[in-house]
This record gives sequence, structure tokens and C-alpha cells, in this order.
Amino acid sequence: MSEKTLATKPRSDVVVLRPSRGWTTLNLRDLWVYRELVYFLTWRDVKVRYKQTVLGALWAILQPLLNMIVLTVIFGNLAKMATDNIPRPIFTFTALLPWGLFSKALSDAGRSMLASRAMITKVYFPRLIIPLASVMGGVVDFVIQLGILLIMMVYFKITPTSAIWTLPFFLLLALITALGFGLWLSALNVLYRDVGYIIPFLTQTWLLVTPVGYSVKAIPAQWQLVYALNPMVGVVEGFRWALLGTQNPPWAVLAVSVLISLTLLISGMYYFRRMERTFADMV
Amino acid sequence: MNSPIASEFLGGGAARPARDGEAIRLVQASVRYRVPHERIGTFKEYLILWLQRKVKHHTFWALKDVSLEVRQGEAFGLIGQNGAGKSTLLKLVARVLRPTSGRVWVKGRVAPLLEIGAGFHPELTGRENVYLNGAMLGFTRQEMDARFDHIVDFAELWDFIDAPLRAYSSGMWARLGFAVAIDAEPQILIVDEILSVGDEAFQRKSLARIQGFQEQGVTILLVSHNMGVIESLCQRAAWLDHGRLQAIGEAREVIRAYRQSQPG
Ligand SMILES: Nc1ncnc2c1ncn2[C@@H]1O[C@H](COP(=O)(O)OP(=O)(O)OP(=O)(O)O)[C@@H](O)[C@H]1O
Ligand SMILES: [Mg+2]
Repeated sequence: MSEKTLATKPRSDVVVLRPSRGWTTLNLRDLWVYRELVYFLTWRDVKVRYKQTVLGALWAILQPLLNMIVLTVIFGNLAKMATDNIPRPIFTFTALLPWGLFSKALSDAGRSMLASRAMITKVYFPRLIIPLASVMGGVVDFVIQLGILLIMMVYFKITPTSAIWTLPFFLLLALITALGFGLWLSALNVLYRDVGYIIPFLTQTWLLVTPVGYSVKAIPAQWQLVYALNPMVGVVEGFRWALLGTQNPPWAVLAVSVLISLTLLISGMYYFRRMERTFADMV
Repeated sequence: MNSPIASEFLGGGAARPARDGEAIRLVQASVRYRVPHERIGTFKEYLILWLQRKVKHHTFWALKDVSLEVRQGEAFGLIGQNGAGKSTLLKLVARVLRPTSGRVWVKGRVAPLLEIGAGFHPELTGRENVYLNGAMLGFTRQEMDARFDHIVDFAELWDFIDAPLRAYSSGMWARLGFAVAIDAEPQILIVDEILSVGDEAFQRKSLARIQGFQEQGVTILLVSHNMGVIESLCQRAAWLDHGRLQAIGEAREVIRAYRQSQPG
């Protein structure tokens, strides 16, 4: 007989519960045992979302298209900012792919814990799965949008660069960044309900300091590295580089982004785990 | 105690782990809640209180120093008034809550019947919800494939299984939840007041199923305000009052003591 503090799955393990103080371990094995739950919750979120709206999955296409039009007008016709010789709709839409994933993840993950109150107070499972699933929900939309982008590229006669194989890496980076922030926001939102109101404002402001509607070159050289502290800069520039070949690979910016994203993810996981014990009576 | 994690968890605790033949063991387990209206809900409130140096946590002990053991294969009853802490104790055993102090050992797979159908989504069909709930209990899709027919048979809901749950009556909803949870081959079954859902036939069927579990040697922890159910199912029982253990022992004795304490 072995004693485990982990999963309930192995049939005759002993689970020991004691008050938890300070920093807990991440307990990733438990997460692995419940991996199917990530799939089911993601699938549930997507399905319910598409079922409840009149236009359903069409929103996954309409939303970035409308965003694209607005940003094209603001930054093209009004501000007249350069796009590295790429047709502006393509230039903007490419950036909107990871941006949409990120902003949706922030708002969904932020709300996720409160929305899952019924489950959290009744059944044990690793709580990390809830924000994780709400971030993964955006991947379905992302795939649909990528299809639209490729069609648009055919229309504008733009061939993807040979660097397109690096795209999964940039998608992963976008997911890591989104999950890192999502974990922080979801845990904080349980403690302070204000967070839910801050998130829309946060994403709006964030969009302005991310090169979605404009090129990173619009930022003065001496500010470039400070600018890159926003990990979405590396993600967006990476997407443009991989798909459109806008410029030299943005290595320096990317290195900063990767570093910040990983820091966010790891700190977010620890913070979430630390707060986890209070969730059941706080949500 | 050969795993490093276990020893870390046990470190400093004076109490022993569960002995052989024990399924659940609580040692001076206490749970403290923050009283809701005293909770600091926003940054602003927190800031104001913090500036006034008034960040006090008004708290409330829902369970206080409760020690008890439940043996393997035993049916154990929990009784007490509303708000006595019975559901809180069950949540400890189901791992939903951690004790604020004290220790809890649980040996074996727990089926949490705290509130059945938790996590069901009204927009999804019965079939989809069964799989989702299964995943919540830690089952894979293949495992659920093997169980599915059995679950729906028990719930007797074949006609509605592909309808969205919002088309279910509350009794049907509860039946499906009960059927999923009861099918989880638990070693410890936690039952919180759920024998009152469903119509009479379904209640009888559920009771028979629980008795069947008992014969197979499943440990049962049962909360009910129906003393008849407790008396007929449980060998031993505990009486909780305002979070404290008032009496523990043979079910009939504990029930008598509890009844005598009640006015009227
Ligand atoms: N999340 C919570 N936050 C604050 N107080 C809580 C919380 N959950 C329960 N309580 C309080 O803890 C006490 C015990 O609650 P519990 O649900 O364990 O009672 P119970 O014995 O199951 O009662 P009942 O017979 O009505 O089901 C109650 O006074 C309740 O108000
Ligand atoms: Mg109760």
C-alpha cells in the first residue's frame, strides 16, 4: 500500500488532507489523470457557445473580420501607418488571429471560476483544468480563422513563406501567454470581483500597445525593447514573419516574449495552486 | 508511507495515518469559513479597511475538532440540525474542502454524491452530460463507453437521452446524476440527502442499490434527516451539533440521544 496525495483514480491509494500553507507543489500528475476533462470542458464551452447564438460558428469569422475593417480604417485611412508592403487587410487579419485567441482567453478564463461554481463546490478535480479549458476553447475559433486567412491570401495572391512550419510554435507561445494571464485573472477574480470589470478595459488598452493595426517599426528604435516587454508583440510579429515574411525574424523581441510568457505561466500556476484551497468556499 | 509526498504531508502531524480496516479517519478536523457578509469583496473595500487597519477576518467554525473513524465496509450515518456541518464534513472526505486544521485520511476511491448532477449543462444532451460528468469523476471516454448503457438503464431515461437537459424535469435531472455517480464503482460512497429525489419507485431502487453496495463491502457515509433510513441502513452514526461531535456510536443510540435533545 502506498500513500499518495494525488489522484483519486488509482483504486486504493490513501489521500491525506491537511491544512495547506505556503507554496504547494504544482501536482502535474493529477492534471494528467484528469486530462480528458480538459477535452470535455473545452468541447462543452465551444458547443454551448455555438448553440446559443443565432449565427453560431459564423461569429468566429465575423468577429475578426469586423475588427479587421475597424482597424484598417483607423490605422490605414486615418493614421496612414505603414504595413511593410502587405495589403492592409491581410496584414491586420494575420495579427488578429493570435490577438483574438489572447483577448478571448483573458475574458473567458477570468470568468471561468465563477461560472463553474456548481462543479467546484461539489466535486474534486484539479481546478487548473477550468481556466485551461477556457483558453483551449479559443483554438477552435483560431483554426477556423486560419482557414479564412489562407483563403484571403489566395485572393490577394500572397504565398505563405517557407517559415510557415514555425506557426505551431507561435500558436503555442500565444497559448502560453494567454494561459499565464488567464490563470492570474481567474484566481484574482475569485478573491476580488472587480477583476471581472477590469478585464474588458485591460484588453482594449492592450490592443493599442500591440502591433495589430500597425507595424512594430512604428515604434522608435530606443523603445523597441521596452515595447517587447509586452509578450504579445513577439507573438504577433512572429505570426507575420511566419506567414507573410514581413521582415527578418524578430529574434530579440521573441526571446524577450518567450521569457516573459514562461515567467507568467509558471508564476500563474503557482499563484493559482496557492489560492486553490480557498476556491470552494469563495466562489 | 514510502512516498516522499506522503511523508511531506504527514510531517509534523502527531496523528497516525489510517490503520488497516479503516476507510476514513478524521483527527481533530476543523473547517473555518469566512462569514459571507464580512467578506471583503472588492479592492476598494479592502483598501479602505486596510488603511483603517481593520482587515479583520470574521470567521465561523463549521466543524470544530471532529475526530472519528469509519471502518471499511461500514455504513455510517451523520445526523444533526440544519447547518450542523454535515455537508461540510462530507466535502472534506470528497476532497472539495481542505481542513483548516487537523487531518483527514481517506483510503479508496470516493464517489461524491454531494449534489448530483453538479456540472450538468442544460444546453447539452443527456448523453453528452453523462460523458462530461464521467470525465469529472476521472473516467476516460472508453471507460464511459463501457458504462453508458448501464447508466441509462438505471436512470430509465432512454427516451430522453438525446434531448437537452433543459427539457428534463428536476427529478429526471437528479436521476441521471445519481445514475452516473452511483456507477463509478466507488469504494467509499458519500450520500448527502439524495434519497429524497426521484419518485417513490426510483427512491426504492436507489436504496436497493446502496444496500447492494453494502453487501459488496463498499463503505457508505450517509447524511439524512430521515432517521428511518439511517436506522435501517447504518450500523454506526455520529451526531453533529454546531460543528462539534455530540455523540458517536451505535446508530440507534445516537438517534435516540439526538431525538431527546430536540424540542417538541
Ligand atoms: N461557503 C460557505 N461560506 C460560509 N459559510 C458556510 C459555507 N458553507 C456552509 N457554511 C456554513 O457552515 C455551516 C454548516 O453548513 P453545512 O452545509 O455543513 O450544514 P449541514 O449540516 O449540511 O446542514 P443541512 O442539514 O441544512 O444540509 C452552516 O452554518 C453554513 O451557514
Ligand atoms: Mg447539508
